[in-house]
Amino acid sequence: MSAGALLRRLLGVIPLLIGISLILFAVIHLAPGGPLDVYADNPSVTPEALARIARAYGLDRPLTVQYALWLKAMLIGDWGYSIRTGRPVLTEITERIGPTLELAAVAASVALLMAMALGVVAAARDGRRIDRVIELVTLGGLSIPVFWLGLVLQYLFSVKLGWLPSAGLETIGGSSFGDRLAHLVMPAAVLAFATGAAWTRYLRAGMIDALRQDYVRTAYAKGLSRPAVLLRHGLRNAIVPAISIIALDLASLISGAVITEAVFAWPGIGSLFVESLDGRDYPVLMGVLLAGSAAVILANLLADLVQGLLDPRLRDG
Amino acid sequence: MTDASRGQNWSRRGALGGIAAATTLSGCRPLRRRADNTLVAGLTYDLDTLNVYSTGFLGDVQAAVVEGLLAPDAHARYVPVLATSVPSIANGGIVIDPDGTGMTITYALRRGVRWHDGAPFTAADVAFTWRAVRNPAFLAESKDGAEEIVAIETPDPFTVVCRYAKVTPTFAATLFTFGILPKHLLEGVNLNNAPYNERPIGTGPFIVTRFRRGQYVLTERNPHYWRRDAAGRQLPYIDRLIFKIIPNSNTLLTQLRSGELDLVTQTPYDQAKQMNGLAGVDLVRSPLLSWQHLDFNFRNPLLRDPAIRRAIAHALDRSAMVKVNGGFQTPAWSVVVPIFDFHDPHALRYPYDPVRARAILDAAGYVPGPDGVRARAGARLSFRVVTQAGKADDELTQQIILAQLKAIGIEAFADNKMGIAYRQARYKGDFDMTYSSWVTGVDPVYSRFFATHGSNNGQAYSNPAMDRILAQMESTLDPVERKRAAFEMQHLLAVDLPTIPLTNAVAVVSKNSRLQGFTPNPTNMTPYVSCAGWRLNA
Repeated sequence: MSAGALLRRLLGVIPLLIGISLILFAVIHLAPGGPLDVYADNPSVTPEALARIARAYGLDRPLTVQYALWLKAMLIGDWGYSIRTGRPVLTEITERIGPTLELAAVAASVALLMAMALGVVAAARDGRRIDRVIELVTLGGLSIPVFWLGLVLQYLFSVKLGWLPSAGLETIGGSSFGDRLAHLVMPAAVLAFATGAAWTRYLRAGMIDALRQDYVRTAYAKGLSRPAVLLRHGLRNAIVPAISIIALDLASLISGAVITEAVFAWPGIGSLFVESLDGRDYPVLMGVLLAGSAAVILANLLADLVQGLLDPRLRDG
Repeated sequence: MTDASRGQNWSRRGALGGIAAATTLSGCRPLRRRADNTLVAGLTYDLDTLNVYSTGFLGDVQAAVVEGLLAPDAHARYVPVLATSVPSIANGGIVIDPDGTGMTITYALRRGVRWHDGAPFTAADVAFTWRAVRNPAFLAESKDGAEEIVAIETPDPFTVVCRYAKVTPTFAATLFTFGILPKHLLEGVNLNNAPYNERPIGTGPFIVTRFRRGQYVLTERNPHYWRRDAAGRQLPYIDRLIFKIIPNSNTLLTQLRSGELDLVTQTPYDQAKQMNGLAGVDLVRSPLLSWQHLDFNFRNPLLRDPAIRRAIAHALDRSAMVKVNGGFQTPAWSVVVPIFDFHDPHALRYPYDPVRARAILDAAGYVPGPDGVRARAGARLSFRVVTQAGKADDELTQQIILAQLKAIGIEAFADNKMGIAYRQARYKGDFDMTYSSWVTGVDPVYSRFFATHGSNNGQAYSNPAMDRILAQMESTLDPVERKRAAFEMQHLLAVDLPTIPLTNAVAVVSKNSRLQGFTPNPTNMTPYVSCAGWRLNA
């Protein structure tokens, strides 16, 4: 992709994001409930008090006006303030993105290693027993609910064995690198298992496809060893079509680790999203969703770039 | 050895190695037994702010950090905290104006109390708190108690004189009981986004040293805390109190089982039974100032017929409702929670008796039609019952109510709403019947619910006699008079039946057996208000 094409694609992102924001805004506000629901059972918060708070946050204005004001502020870089905490949305998000990136990076690395190892082995042993075992494992990864697997691991490793902390980012007051790693093991494993299972399947299919090609036969004929053929000719070709799916999954790992973060009380962007959704904290919800959308779009762009680097045929102008 | 079996061998060894490494990395810290004097409590909600006047949640953390002049104890009675006594007419703390319209309350403040930063606590802080909460620019969740005071004087640093425009028996329920704000730190500061909201400074037994949003609040023992135990030992006993934020209740209880948590003050009913009998964990039941009830909308002409309301009262079996809620709630027969002195144990009751319920409807001329639904002169007994959608316990109880109404020939169907829609329905009367609950502080203002113009009276219930009784109850400080009015209110409610009280909720506290001296608290001040006296056995 040339610099000009890249710039054009980047500029195209802006109207796309505005369109997405319009849809998100409409959907969020059409959902029942509102940020003042937290007071529903509290009889000392009178309708007058609620009206006062609603007025202060502009919640009493027509939706179109609310959206226009939000968009105007957003375009000059003002993400607004959280209704729940009164803090800037940008602060809320930047504070929570770190733990999510940490979790997503570790989970993605483990998932990628798992996918490459299992995908190559399964494809090399297509139809054999080990292939069927791997198929069963990946089926488990795709079908076992994340929260259930999380609870089982917590029960086993925290309650029964007492080896790993069951939740949180660190031991409060006594944090070290090892401590943080111990806290990371279970959530990363759960997230990696689900993601890695899907990637394994893509890679296996890509590998089987690649291994049937003529150039593989040629490589064997040249006397290359089996591992060399599998990795250099098989995996390299199989990974190209898988890249776009993996890149999109990377974005969803960042924006979509909602359940994993909830089960393991991981203070990331996913749990911020759930808390904001519960509290109908519109400004934070919009911020998180828009950042998530931007991540998906950029990941897509990145996937195209990487694919171009790996496969010269895909490079354009 | 085949390739495949070699692969399996490797992965098994790898997995074991990984687990061993992780165990080593966790510092071999035994999760089950913490030797230090730290109590770790679990919170099921993410904290919005630590400012006690702004939060939408109960002030669990705040109760350990910030103190008020008074506080409710385990029996929902006020005890002095930063004041030296609870003002009353008997002790001269309250003086009614000669013409009986207004009153003056004088608080004598405790001497020698210091804020967490070392500054002395004085009457100026109390007067500042009133001004700050009353300030229209401050978006407090509730300004209750601030508007009723018309002036505050501080004749000396340890005396506060509050002037009220009218006699207000509920003076202790809000403002100065919630907590006092430090004037020296907050004067001229915008309280809506002050750093104080993240790191409150109080006079309480624990000092907030770190607040990580979405994770935890770390508090340390206040070394200069003013309170001592009976033996003269300075409180609190515990060195560190940590509040961990774990919104997922399964994870919360896993942490309790693994020993990573010591205390959960609100165990979900469906999980409380699993905790029962678990080694090292005690379950404590604590009453709450809440009652679940079925209300009638008087805008519906059929529901204005007392025969129908009476029949429904006899048709409801509270034991079934208690059962579906895990057996933890208790049947309620009055809107006044039994813990209060004002509770009338002999208030008129409508025992569960479907035969009688049907007889009442028969006598009133409502006869079953071909579809089994009763009708009179073409008016079918068919009603919409509204409750808040998404509240599983409430929706379950609602189903029982619907079935019990059906059993006496009344058709009722769920019309549940969420959020604003639900609240609007409840406040503006868009329902035939509504099943819901109220949670109150120590001094519930019942006129909110049952007076003709009560802010929470969405039922359009109106009885001048009731208005009179409530006005009487809420404008006198004479306990005998108030109790008499409260009993009259309960009697009239049972006669008029605008509402049928059904159950009282109970908080189930799960705690580590090491934790001693724990006292539950039924009020919105939470059990943490007495955490200075908690201790951990070795």
